[in-house]
Amino acid sequence: MKVVEQIPRSAIIWLILSQLCMLLPLLGELPLWTPVLVIAVAVVRLQILRGQWPWPSRWLRVLMMLAGVAGVVMSYRSLLGLEPMVTLLVTAYALKLFETQSLRDGYLLAILGFFTAMTLFLYDQSIVQVLAVVVVLMTLLSALLALNEPRATPLSAAPLRRSAVLLTLALPMMLVVFLVFPRIAPLWSVPIKNHSAKTGMSDSIFPGDVTELGRDDSVAFRVQFEGDVPAQSQLYWRGLTLGREADGRWLQHASGRGEGLWGLAEVPEPVGEPLRYRVIQAPTQQRWVYGLRFAETADAGLLAVNDFTLRARSPIEFERGYTLRSWSESVLEPELPEWRRTLETATDATDHPRTQRLVEILRAQVDSRLGPTDPAARDQAFVAEVLAWLRREPFYYTLSPPQLDAETFVDEFLFASRRGFCEHYAISFVVMMRTAGIPARIVAGYQGGEYNPVSNTVVVRQFDAHAWAEVWLQGRGWVRVDPTAAVAPSRIESGLEAALAAEGSFLSDALFSATRYRDIGLINFFRQQYDAAAWRWQVMVVGYGGEMQLSVLRDLVGEITPLRLLALLGGVWLLVLAPMAWWLLRGRGGRSRSQAERAYWALCAELDRRGLTRLPGEGLTALRARLAESLHDEPALCARIEAVERALYETAPSR
Amino acid sequence: MSSLAEGSQGRSWTRWYHARWQRWMVRRLPPQSPIELTQRRLFIFPSRPGLAFLGVLAAILVAAINYENNMAYALTFWLGSVFVVAVHMTFANLHRLQVQAVGAVPVFAGQQARLVVRLSARGRRSYCGLAAGWHTAGDAFSVPGRGSYDLSLFCCAPSRGWFDPGRFLLETRYPLGLLRCWTWLDLGQRVLVYPTPLAPTQLWEAHSGGGRDGPPRGPSGEELADFKAYQPGDPLKSIAWAAYARSDTLVSKVMGDTQAQDLWLDFSRLPMADSETRLSWLCWLVLDAHNAQLRFGLRMPGVELAPAVGEPHRDAALRALALYTPGSGA
Repeated sequence: MKVVEQIPRSAIIWLILSQLCMLLPLLGELPLWTPVLVIAVAVVRLQILRGQWPWPSRWLRVLMMLAGVAGVVMSYRSLLGLEPMVTLLVTAYALKLFETQSLRDGYLLAILGFFTAMTLFLYDQSIVQVLAVVVVLMTLLSALLALNEPRATPLSAAPLRRSAVLLTLALPMMLVVFLVFPRIAPLWSVPIKNHSAKTGMSDSIFPGDVTELGRDDSVAFRVQFEGDVPAQSQLYWRGLTLGREADGRWLQHASGRGEGLWGLAEVPEPVGEPLRYRVIQAPTQQRWVYGLRFAETADAGLLAVNDFTLRARSPIEFERGYTLRSWSESVLEPELPEWRRTLETATDATDHPRTQRLVEILRAQVDSRLGPTDPAARDQAFVAEVLAWLRREPFYYTLSPPQLDAETFVDEFLFASRRGFCEHYAISFVVMMRTAGIPARIVAGYQGGEYNPVSNTVVVRQFDAHAWAEVWLQGRGWVRVDPTAAVAPSRIESGLEAALAAEGSFLSDALFSATRYRDIGLINFFRQQYDAAAWRWQVMVVGYGGEMQLSVLRDLVGEITPLRLLALLGGVWLLVLAPMAWWLLRGRGGRSRSQAERAYWALCAELDRRGLTRLPGEGLTALRARLAESLHDEPALCARIEAVERALYETAPSR
Repeated sequence: MSSLAEGSQGRSWTRWYHARWQRWMVRRLPPQSPIELTQRRLFIFPSRPGLAFLGVLAAILVAAINYENNMAYALTFWLGSVFVVAVHMTFANLHRLQVQAVGAVPVFAGQQARLVVRLSARGRRSYCGLAAGWHTAGDAFSVPGRGSYDLSLFCCAPSRGWFDPGRFLLETRYPLGLLRCWTWLDLGQRVLVYPTPLAPTQLWEAHSGGGRDGPPRGPSGEELADFKAYQPGDPLKSIAWAAYARSDTLVSKVMGDTQAQDLWLDFSRLPMADSETRLSWLCWLVLDAHNAQLRFGLRMPGVELAPAVGEPHRDAALRALALYTPGSGA
């Protein structure tokens, strides 16, 4: 008969705890029903443990698993991809609790838990996430410890303490292997995050889109400059250009028919000294990356596009770092072919008749003032005239602009509502330029960023999202024009918070955002410290590998040869393992006897030599009685036996 | 390994392997008591959950490589290091444990023999989650630091004589259960196994002329020989109830052969049967004679025990029966 060992109660409690701990960092990533299911399963299992509720029947368990699979298919419309798989894993991991009765099931669940813990890192590798995973590991190790200690009291913190000791003992060895282990290229392609919400700038702008980002204080990317950080008003992070309008929505030029934007035809001539900087971008699920005006890179994973932006070869699913050089003085596209000019001036004037009339009036004013002149000067004067008009008229910069009709948006905005966020101004401005026959396009990206003196980095957050315009002028190429600067100069010079100071709407929804309280000294200090730590973590730890690994190893062993690496590994392992083995094996041997015990064993050896061997199970009193005759002639030995006996039993044993 | 004791059956290569294994074990771990568990006496290998754990680590490593995820790399290495630490901890949990045979009480063939093994910790560290058994480990127990634990091992004694139970397994999976550290110990402990007592029904038939089912009032058809003062432990059926009614004192009847004072239990005078059956009969007779407080002697080819009474005499007789070798006479 096969005896099935029951899983200890304390182990079940630790397993349930580990599932709940794992759920916390995944809350935002899973469909809503998954956490509800996990918590429900935990509650039911606890009730079963308390003997309150019966076990669910077999068909009910099968039904629940099928419902889980159906839930995943309904939520993601697919079982492929990273997110459905993780959701399925978490669901199966939770439901497995209903089948965890034997010791073997307990091990299975805990070991499955280690794998599930790994998936947390596929979403986020930040310090906070690492701390969350450490907590999960401690609960899982506690479950393993509890499985091996059936008589332990449930809910005692002792296993937690011991798992912390285990992890601490293992830490140095892990660090060494982490430094030395070669980072291999992916073995095969893996399911990707094709179901996660795309974040940051989207590939098209509809009035109101950027406004949404204005309420989000999460980090879009961090930048570290080599040398001085340019002034905030110069930090225009170009992401993509939008030159095509469809039903009020601004899009990139369609690719494929030869008129598209793909591929950089000729590299602009570098002028002056470039800015050098490194960007670490949060995952966006999009392909564009952010750089200052005319960014160039040696990164093989990035492609230059002929609107002078950069594209990653595949969507950015995880934190991605890249090093860029920017020439801010270079002339972009000095010659604009006729077909490009047609493309960049396309607009339907019938949609906005009032705007067309305004443009005609402003054009006439400029022309009469300047007299006959070259087209570049004429266009430039017109741009200045329009900006002056925007400044003159009562326009407001606001995070809560009124909703406008898409078809008549420009007329309504320019002449009626006059309340808008950056994209409202950028779109209207570009339409006015195009109506006047000047090639113009919208640039979507971020503007500004917060300088952190602790790490010497610029942190760009989602609320720094910005849309501005570029116009093409003969001889000067594409020139940046920011109509928002005309309306709300403080937005460009000191950021969104200053621009919205009067309105008081900056991060008004995010009550607990540390960014919201950055004018409070202490909070700001910790915020900057944390941010600097996060930067270092991203660069030094999450981004470790490749060149950095080589240089670290070169510092450690000099020339890198397999033999030297093995020697390093072996040496450090000895340094780490030998003390650990000593610590673990200490206090096990017989060396730590008390003085009385040592005297006893010495006496036994002496008796052996004289042929008076102690019998098994015989005490000294019995021995004295048995050997009374032989001992009669040796009073010294007799006294010694008595002395040892007294020493052994007179005092309480010391622990 | 589990077929350690009954490996003599089966195919020839199994037998060969088993023999090799036994020889190797005897060389490495010769029978000895007391014994201290040291490095060369302990084996360690991942347990089944441990192998699954290593499999999951490999899966995490593949994910780390394919997703180029440094934190997943770190997780792999951390859990791997935890495993290495666990190797040391599990090993330490048997290391330098003292094992000593305490003794075994003789049993009758077919009964469970109980072997007592004393495990003691000399140091102040305790040993937790140990388990022992003949083929597979049983319930967990612990040995406290500077203390000891008496482990009882039971096994069925198949036939009379000296019974060598063979090696027993002592193992631990403490603390994580991912590793199994074990040893097969032979403390040289032997159990004396007496023959199975068997009531000699044929004997009664031979003496009483047949027809009687129950045993006679005493073996060998003896009659009332004497009275003696009752002693606790005397069989109730031997109490002279009539005398008790007269005098208020308990008196036991002493049964005995009327022809001879001493009862001789003689191997050669028993009815024809194979020698094991005769030994079983003699065993029953020895026990019965002892219970009846009879003075008895034991005579077998090559062995003769002078008539006597008392427990040491009974034990000597049983021992003689247990160790009797049929070839030595007759």
